[in-house]
Amino acid sequence: MAATLNGVLENNLAESIIKSRLLMVGAGGIGCELLKNLVLSGFSNIEVIDLDTIDVSNLNRQFLFRKEHVGKSKAQVAKESALKFKADANIVAHHESIFSPEFGLDFFKQFTLVLNALDNRAARNHVNRMCLAADIPLVESGTAGYLGQVTVIKKKLTECYECQPKPTQKTFPGCTIRNTPSEPVHCVVWAKHLFNQLFGEDDPDQDVSPDTEDPELAAEAGQAALSTEAKKDTIGGIERKSTRSWAMETGYDAEKLFNKLFRDDIKYLLSMENLWKKRRAPQPLDFQELPGKGEAMCTGVMRDQRVWSVQECADIFAQSLAALKQDLYSKGDGGTLVWDKDDHNGMDFVCSVANIRAHIFGITLKSKFDIKSIAGNIIPAIATTNAIIAGLIVMETLKILSGNISKCKQVYLNRIPNDRKRLLLPCALDPPNPKCYVCSEKHECTVMLNTQKVTVRVLQDKILKGHLNMIAPDVEIDDGKGTIILSSEEGETEENYDKVLSVFAVGQSSRLKCDDFLQNYSLTINIVHVEKLEEEKEFEVVGDISQFHPTETTTESPVEGHTNGASKSKATEEEDDLLIVEDQVTPDLVSTGRKRPAEDQQDALLIKRKKQESNTEDNEDVIEIS
Amino acid sequence: MRRTKGPVLIVYKMAATLNKGTGLDKNNKYDRQLRLWGDHGQAALESSRVCLINASATGTEILKNLVLPGIGSFTIVDSCKVKGEDVGINFFLTVDSIGKSRAQVATELLSELNEDVAGDFLEEDVDDLLEKNPSFFSTFTTVIATQLPEKTLLHLGKVLWERNIPLIVCRCYGFIGYLRMVIKEHTIVESHPDNTHEDLRLDRPFKGLHEFCDSLDLNSMNKKDHSHTPWLVLLYKYLDIWKNMNGGKIPSTYKEKTALKELIKEGVRRNAEGVPDDEENFEEAIRSVNSSLHATAVPAEIQALFEDPCCLNLNTDSKNFWVMVRALKEFTENEGQGLLPLRGSIPDMTSDSERYIQLQTVYRDQAEIDATAVAGHVHALLHNIGREEPLNPDRTKKPGTLSDSEIRTFCRNAAFLTVLRCRSLEEEYTTETANLEELGQHILEEEEDANSDSDDTVLYILLRAADRFFTEYNRYPSYFDDTLDADIPKLKACLSKLLHDWGLTAGVKDDYVHEICRYGASELHTVAAFMGGVAAQEVIKVVTGQFVPINNTFIYNAQKQTSTTIIL
Ligand SMILES: [Zn+2]
Repeated sequence: MAATLNGVLENNLAESIIKSRLLMVGAGGIGCELLKNLVLSGFSNIEVIDLDTIDVSNLNRQFLFRKEHVGKSKAQVAKESALKFKADANIVAHHESIFSPEFGLDFFKQFTLVLNALDNRAARNHVNRMCLAADIPLVESGTAGYLGQVTVIKKKLTECYECQPKPTQKTFPGCTIRNTPSEPVHCVVWAKHLFNQLFGEDDPDQDVSPDTEDPELAAEAGQAALSTEAKKDTIGGIERKSTRSWAMETGYDAEKLFNKLFRDDIKYLLSMENLWKKRRAPQPLDFQELPGKGEAMCTGVMRDQRVWSVQECADIFAQSLAALKQDLYSKGDGGTLVWDKDDHNGMDFVCSVANIRAHIFGITLKSKFDIKSIAGNIIPAIATTNAIIAGLIVMETLKILSGNISKCKQVYLNRIPNDRKRLLLPCALDPPNPKCYVCSEKHECTVMLNTQKVTVRVLQDKILKGHLNMIAPDVEIDDGKGTIILSSEEGETEENYDKVLSVFAVGQSSRLKCDDFLQNYSLTINIVHVEKLEEEKEFEVVGDISQFHPTETTTESPVEGHTNGASKSKATEEEDDLLIVEDQVTPDLVSTGRKRPAEDQQDALLIKRKKQESNTEDNEDVIEIS
Repeated sequence: MRRTKGPVLIVYKMAATLNKGTGLDKNNKYDRQLRLWGDHGQAALESSRVCLINASATGTEILKNLVLPGIGSFTIVDSCKVKGEDVGINFFLTVDSIGKSRAQVATELLSELNEDVAGDFLEEDVDDLLEKNPSFFSTFTTVIATQLPEKTLLHLGKVLWERNIPLIVCRCYGFIGYLRMVIKEHTIVESHPDNTHEDLRLDRPFKGLHEFCDSLDLNSMNKKDHSHTPWLVLLYKYLDIWKNMNGGKIPSTYKEKTALKELIKEGVRRNAEGVPDDEENFEEAIRSVNSSLHATAVPAEIQALFEDPCCLNLNTDSKNFWVMVRALKEFTENEGQGLLPLRGSIPDMTSDSERYIQLQTVYRDQAEIDATAVAGHVHALLHNIGREEPLNPDRTKKPGTLSDSEIRTFCRNAAFLTVLRCRSLEEEYTTETANLEELGQHILEEEEDANSDSDDTVLYILLRAADRFFTEYNRYPSYFDDTLDADIPKLKACLSKLLHDWGLTAGVKDDYVHEICRYGASELHTVAAFMGGVAAQEVIKVVTGQFVPINNTFIYNAQKQTSTTIIL
């Protein structure tokens, strides 16, 4: 066959392919397909970054990995597998976090373009900023089940990844989780919190005991006094201490733990009568007298598919507790466990605990298969969708390399051809949002908070890192004096951490200048002081001051919730192929007026509806807490 | 040279099937896809036998996407030896395999992807195989043909059509991707429709629903119970009142529905000051009036299936699907009193869990009664066509019989049954039967749609012209670089002959002819990878019997990232 690739592609394009240097971030579902496509399209200088290791559940689609690779670095194995087919390709693998300082501006600047094959928003935000700072094109992509999307981001030419506010993520008020669960997901979140309280890293936001500061209790006179009394009573006269140390003292005794969590704590909740005036009251359980007692435990294949009886749950609770205790002790003093949806014991524990709690509160019980979905934020993933999307990515890449970036498209993959018979929906790229606090000239946003309650630590961890996706922020007050309240240099401002912002005279209309040298990014925050936000939120970010309408309730605001912790590396561990459909496809599809013919709208809304459904199941909040 | 001794079928990985249980936990390995098509979809996938013709880049990309999720087995038919240019674009052929059998090398490498999949190959020319041993293809669940010339393709299409074996044709030609589904009849129980009404029967309440709702008295309830009564019950009760006031009629107009909503609103409890309480369940009932009061009826699509000759004329060889459709028809005409079996599920709603579960049970029980009745018809019908002993309740499942769980799944999906009948390749390629109307319509739409620059249908015509070129010159246009200039006018001539035969006046711009010539029938890996995903997805739909496959042609323009589907 004489008609080679060179004949089909324009000559200068073939040359650009050979000369170009690509950075591929992520070597999961899309990454495996993409690396193969790149190598077989003639690209030979490729660097791959992925912190992840290979898991069994990757093997149904991540074809560069085999059974014997489980546990190894994705980046490294992907490189080795690809080199088998093209030994002369120059592939560099980094088994590292993309947030690592070694991948700074100079690192990014060496590439012709960057290809994202990521699975989480935090990393996408970061790469977005790095590419803007380095002024190199970025091809962004994602898949979820049968749906997928590819888009191109170029500074000053297109929208950036953060130009449009992301949809609100559902977060659950602490008192719903601790006192008044009404949906299975509330019990699952509680179960994961319990796991962390017993085995993981301590997080004060993950308390599992009854919450005596529930706003609904406010009316109850003398509640505080009553609760102190009851507290001593219900846990057998033991002074209140951390769940962890108490469990340790009992030697992780299943019966003692069970009776504390599911009998005594529930009795205590019952004493908060205000909660149960309009609700079904929970029913305490005793370890020795459980529904389903005496029934044989099913151990067959169907174990994960059917709903366990309460007795089974208690048995599995005891078994997994014992196994996890062993795991924990094997880590030595001060060791902790990290919850992982693919870990048998961790998953058994969360499933049994969530179901026992669901039973107590009269909530529908679920199978382990379903709970895994909720707890692990599992997004279905298949080889075919990734193959399609990876093909599209390379086509967009070729356009960029042939100097036709203006012809690039944002392409959506439908589940089935739409009413107009289109499986693919190519849309023109939108221009940058002039009010974007990331890619516009003026980097500004507005944050509503109570300056007398929010500490510098919350500002750093939850607002700047968790919400605004900075990695190492410095903050000074724009007060003419340049008072520095936060420094990324270790030890410089530690004494400020627990002080609230008002201590530094930060109040209504204060401006904070925040700077992240790692991202080459700076941002001015306009503070709006509010006494109280809905649903116990500590703060709320409004992208632009003009979007700030104090009369509207928070439901309208583009808020992600404060649990989105970019600094928690656990986020990268989620299913390879994206969240972008959740993150990005949805809002874009919703605003069809901008870019789609009217007849496509129904189709778009359909997808929106579906996504909303799955949102309630795959709640990001659930993972981020892990 | 191209033939080995006789049709040798070498089983490459026999060990695979023995590996079950000792290998990886399949539930873990397939976890992310089980969430799309379920255990039974996976079981169907695992029992499928797929044949691939030609281990081209397109072919191996398709197979890769089928081996990974775990089809039962595959067989590659290919008489070619690996050449240098294959290696550059095909991930499953390596440099050191040049000169070896393409079928064998690809089989070996693809088999490595999943130890639970058995792979084998046949180094044999397809034309010869079709000539000498056409029944070879009878053993497959699905056949995938890639990069085949028109003559061979039509022959293959005929052989498979006669045997009722689904054929999926896939082809990558430069920046063009082409897919054609050729399935005589494909029946789908689980079509997974996007937008469906719940099957609640509020307009035609069944006995259990009557009894349950009538047993509840809203007036005597305490505050908590009142505000936790499921909206379904509320709607039932207020509908009852409304019917009594309106001569037994169900509200159908906007005005009537608004009146019903007002009626429900008045039922909200008030506090001592006369202010209405916050009763979420009443709000839900009001919100549900529009969506829940549609008339329950057998959908037109299902009515059409009832009148289908396959349903009316059952015989020993009838598909299980048609036996069940017939049983459904008989149920509808008898026990069902004009309705399909109840689906048996209810949506989430505000309720205490006790009454929610009771309500769930009411629906589930009726669904069970209906499904049992349908099963009765199924077994009687099977007996009539001589396929089953009727009086043995403890049947072990035999081919041609039906299990209770199959019948239940069928009943749950009774409103969404879909039958796909594609046109044959012969019909498409014979001028008299070609769907020229559809083709002309598509071209017109593309020309008139000034907003979109889609030209996918033109690409189809160009592919057909290139095929005609092949028939005349025994090579594709510009297959050899040095013939580019000479081939352009020749291809133009083929194109105008084709359009003339079809009686189409559409003008195809010269640019397209040049472009097609420039492609020289080459396969680009990226296009092959894309089409590999699309085609494998269609194979999975066919094999699992879930989701509705594309009918019948899909065209992808990689340069513009556009695509279309068209019935040809
Ligand atoms: Zn932006």
